[in-house]
Amino acid sequence: MSGPRYHRTRAQDQRLLAFECQSCGYVSFPDERRTCKRCGDAPATFEEVRLAERGEVETFVVQEYLPDDIEVPQPLAIVDLPQADGEGESARVYGLLTETELDELSVGTEVEARFRELFDDGERPINSFKFAVPREVKR
Amino acid sequence: MTDAHVVGSGIIDFGEKYEWSFDDLLEGAYLDLVESVDHGIEPTKDIDAIWYGTLDIANEGASGASVAHATGLFEKPATQIVNACATGSDAFRNAVQAVKAGDVEVALVIGAEKMLDSTEGLIGGAALERLWRGRGVTMPAFFGMRATRHMEQYDTTREQIAEVSVKNHENGTKYPHAHQQFECTVDDVTESATVSYPLNLYDCCPVTDGACAVLVTNDERAREFTDAPVRVAGYGFSTDSFMRGDDLALTNFPASRQASSMAYERSGYGPDDVDVAEVHDCFSITELITYEDLGFCEQGEAGAFIDDGVPHLDGDKPVNPSGGLLSKGHPIGATGVAQIAEIFEQLRGEAGDVQVPDAEVGLQHNIGIGRNATGAVSCVNILER
Repeated sequence: MSGPRYHRTRAQDQRLLAFECQSCGYVSFPDERRTCKRCGDAPATFEEVRLAERGEVETFVVQEYLPDDIEVPQPLAIVDLPQADGEGESARVYGLLTETELDELSVGTEVEARFRELFDDGERPINSFKFAVPREVKR
Repeated sequence: MTDAHVVGSGIIDFGEKYEWSFDDLLEGAYLDLVESVDHGIEPTKDIDAIWYGTLDIANEGASGASVAHATGLFEKPATQIVNACATGSDAFRNAVQAVKAGDVEVALVIGAEKMLDSTEGLIGGAALERLWRGRGVTMPAFFGMRATRHMEQYDTTREQIAEVSVKNHENGTKYPHAHQQFECTVDDVTESATVSYPLNLYDCCPVTDGACAVLVTNDERAREFTDAPVRVAGYGFSTDSFMRGDDLALTNFPASRQASSMAYERSGYGPDDVDVAEVHDCFSITELITYEDLGFCEQGEAGAFIDDGVPHLDGDKPVNPSGGLLSKGHPIGATGVAQIAEIFEQLRGEAGDVQVPDAEVGLQHNIGIGRNATGAVSCVNILER
């Protein structure tokens, strides 16, 4: 895995920078494009928006079988993150989860992004986020 | 404009074919087709063009020239189609379009995949995904997320999902070319090892080598090859992604709704007219949500649909009489072509122990997930006797 592809999205990975289509309101994350995936506007006008660090699990899985160099169990979720200023639409964000206990997780669970070094590409650390259930809402 | 007709098919037994090379797979399916065309065929003279479906998982440097090498069909147009797990169906669709356009009279469609020569296969590629920041999504996870959400949103049960696998394995024991020839119970499925919660081992199709071929021609030439051609009544193809923000894409595949709508519109048939269907069941949940996407039942009612036995071999709308991908196997480039071949046999009354009585309209559905793992390509073809 090469490093530059992660370098390109460091603002998304480290600051939850997203891009709102001015035609239809779609919020793109992490893709920074000049065309809109939802309305097809081309060229589309996007404005930078910041996402909140807390959102809601839309669905999830817990992977048990992965290549040998990846730790299992490996939970993943699709999380809707609202915009930080409370305006507009949420972004639909993929993310790894820290929780592996199924009773901590369901559709609708509130999670927060925690920023950390996720792994390294052999040359440099890749900093991004994982989602976790906030301590105060843990059952 | 002429119609397109399927006038022949050839297949090899799917399985772990360590003694067969990639070329052996192609040659086997091709020879089975040549030897089974009702009125015979002179391949080098009759076949005008080839559409060849493979993802080239085995990394053999596949191209149109590879299929010529394996079949001896040189000096003709030969096009390799690559479109994720819908590769075989899309090869067929492209051949149908060329025949309908009048540019090609007789087309060979052939799909093959050598899955077992590579130890990495799809897993390595799928796990290294940028959107997941380098650690991530495998195919069981991608489909498992639909299962999690469908269970939550529609009260679909784990047992209803498992029942798809039970049904298809039972059908597979009656279909001679199926890779996995065993029956299983709902408990076997729900108690098998977890691959990616909520999906277990028996919710997943096996890793299988295979190849299949069909012959497509126009109105004028069809009866030269057989007295019982099968007409291609309609086709559709579409793509969609859950990254576009539609909640329906978290449980289902909007691309399948779009592709089937196109095929229904072109054919003049609707979901109620379909007598038999071969659909994409790479995982049990995939078939379940496809009942909804194809309009076989209402949204959210797929669990009740299978509880009522509707998609079973003796039900009102048999789905995957061949055992589907879950039992037959999923050699990617061959998968869609093998679905077409099964519908061809069903509509000609040649489907043996899995024959659906008096089937006149058959639907074939095949989806694929690209490396970005956010959505699907979907192909639907409708055939009629």
